[in-house]
Amino acid sequence: MSANFPTRPSLTRRGALQLFGLGAAATALGGCMPTSGGASPQGSAGLSGAGPTDFKFASWSLTEAAAAPALEQIIDGYEAKQGVKVAPTSFPYNEYINQLTLQIKGGQFTGAAHVDVAWLGSLAAMGKLQDLSSLAEGRGYTDAALAAARFDGVQYALPWTIGAIGLVSNAEMLQKVGVAPDGFPTTIDGFEKTLKDLKALGGGIIPYAASTKAAQLKDVLIWMQTFGSPLVDGDTVTIGDDASVEAVTWYKSLYDQGLISPDVDRFDARSLFSQGRAAIYDDAPVGRNAVTKESPDANLASKLNPVARPVLKQGDKPRALVWGGAIAVVDGDGAATAGDFAQFATSDLDTVLGDYAVRGLPPATAEALESDKVASDAFGSLFSERITATATTNPLWAFTSYSQVESEIANRVQAVLVGSAKPADAMKAAGEAAQKLVR
Amino acid sequence: MTAIVAYPLLTALVTAFFKQSLVVPGRKFVGFDNIVDVLQGNFFQLFQQTMIFTLGTTILPFAIGFALALALNTRIRGANLMRGLMLIPWLVPGVVVSFLWMWIFNGNYGVMNALLAPLGVEPQAWLAQPGTAMWAVIIAKTWQSFPWIMVMLLAGLQTVPRELHEAAEMDGAGTVRRFFAITVPQLKGIIGLVLLLEFIWNFQHFDIIYVLTGGGPAGSTQTFATSVYETAFRGYDLGHAGALGLLWLILLMALVVVYVRFSEKGEER
Repeated sequence: MSANFPTRPSLTRRGALQLFGLGAAATALGGCMPTSGGASPQGSAGLSGAGPTDFKFASWSLTEAAAAPALEQIIDGYEAKQGVKVAPTSFPYNEYINQLTLQIKGGQFTGAAHVDVAWLGSLAAMGKLQDLSSLAEGRGYTDAALAAARFDGVQYALPWTIGAIGLVSNAEMLQKVGVAPDGFPTTIDGFEKTLKDLKALGGGIIPYAASTKAAQLKDVLIWMQTFGSPLVDGDTVTIGDDASVEAVTWYKSLYDQGLISPDVDRFDARSLFSQGRAAIYDDAPVGRNAVTKESPDANLASKLNPVARPVLKQGDKPRALVWGGAIAVVDGDGAATAGDFAQFATSDLDTVLGDYAVRGLPPATAEALESDKVASDAFGSLFSERITATATTNPLWAFTSYSQVESEIANRVQAVLVGSAKPADAMKAAGEAAQKLVR
Repeated sequence: MTAIVAYPLLTALVTAFFKQSLVVPGRKFVGFDNIVDVLQGNFFQLFQQTMIFTLGTTILPFAIGFALALALNTRIRGANLMRGLMLIPWLVPGVVVSFLWMWIFNGNYGVMNALLAPLGVEPQAWLAQPGTAMWAVIIAKTWQSFPWIMVMLLAGLQTVPRELHEAAEMDGAGTVRRFFAITVPQLKGIIGLVLLLEFIWNFQHFDIIYVLTGGGPAGSTQTFATSVYETAFRGYDLGHAGALGLLWLILLMALVVVYVRFSEKGEER
């Protein structure tokens, strides 16, 4: 009978080693964590007369086909200017903050890092970011942009693209249900009626490709604010209040009516919108290139119509979320040159305008904002007027544990959407979990 | 050994007894608090879901692999070619398998809905509904692992003396009778080994679940593996991740004991 066994001894050793190794890995998640240290800014920023050196640059945009050429152009330009090599590092947006955190914590990453301004608190808490205030001086950044890239009074990053996330619609599809480009519904009730009309068009149209995957369910926070929840009051997380419960109940009703669709994140939404299968979705201006580039409709660009988010009752101010990219510098090898690169990428006029031509994201310097290229961009101007004008930061960003808070809320909202939890219970639990994290 | 196994393992065991963040420097000794928290939290739900995944991804590919091994053990034309082709899913990296099945199961533009639409089946968000997500993950993992089982069992089948079948056939035993009276007893050892190894590997499986569903929707496909990752790298909570990992490791060690015993028995035979 033993002849029937395969090569058992090697399997035994391999199996045992694998098991032991994976078991160890499972519990070794924090195996090499330092146990002391501070969270204040590190090192001195910029070249300060020193010669440039090679460095690393991390960005999620390098993984996105529509945005990557802009960054490659900037990298090429800087390499040519300084005669150094820039080593690019990239992770998809949804995984980026976790991977970057791990690399910084493990000492594997130093240099320039593209960051969402929402993450500054979490990254600053690691105590490895440089204070870039000396590099911010005299470069023409707008005050609002500088403030967006500041955390706890420290300029942890140089603002790169400061804009907002808002609703983008397909004007042609909306016209089919009698909604003119400048007549988008201003209230929640009107919005829901328009979504129902869009669904009634048939053909499998998803009226509103809202985020329903946990990775992007943070989008629901802006609806909570629209319904009147402040999210945070002082040091208290208010999620679980009547307004947040009402917002999630409404979101769930859209889900149940098929007005929003399961299994959608920002990238799915862009894909559905570009194929003409969704009429409305949430995005920053950067999405414009992604959706038009992939679309079978050659005229989609002319149909893109950014619209103000509907309000609960007439007279309320439409809500929009500030969304900004900035470049932070992680102290260590190449950090001095990385600081110089951050300044170059975010404030050199030609570089910034070249970037705008590809990504379409609002620059952070007054000179670039006032340039013809930016001012004459109809989509960009409409986006700024209807969305960015009323955009605010998320009050939860003030907490270093923002990423975890966001995950806690997103998971519980998803539980409501799939029917595993009631809105009131889930939001109460989300608020309690978030409060525990921000304590 | 000390550097690659003992140090990280011991450090992780120690982490389970501290309140420690991935991003905030410093840690505080909390005794058994993390372990108690984990046990009072969703540990038993995770255990249940891990077992569903593990049993599903062990039994289903075993049944398919065994059926195919029996088919390929006959003198059909092209058996060698088919054997080679069927190994392809096993050779594909887990992440690629996940993206393939993510596309198949996508609720909005997936292949599965397109195939079922002519049958009148309404489009389903296979990966976004608690009732279907775990099955979708099990199917994806099954597709990847049945070839290995098939190859192992086929190797075993080819060692079963043909004379045994011929003698039984002369005595009037039918196909089913010969299968249970000759094939299965002859393969008992290899069947046990394959099932045990698959069970152990699936108990600690991570990549396909994580890429396909991330443990969602609403935690319905969360297993020990994905939960430890989520707790540590999304929640930045190393203490609770370490505690969950410690409990998971204890369960895995029990499986190791079974495996070692089984291997020893096989060697004795």
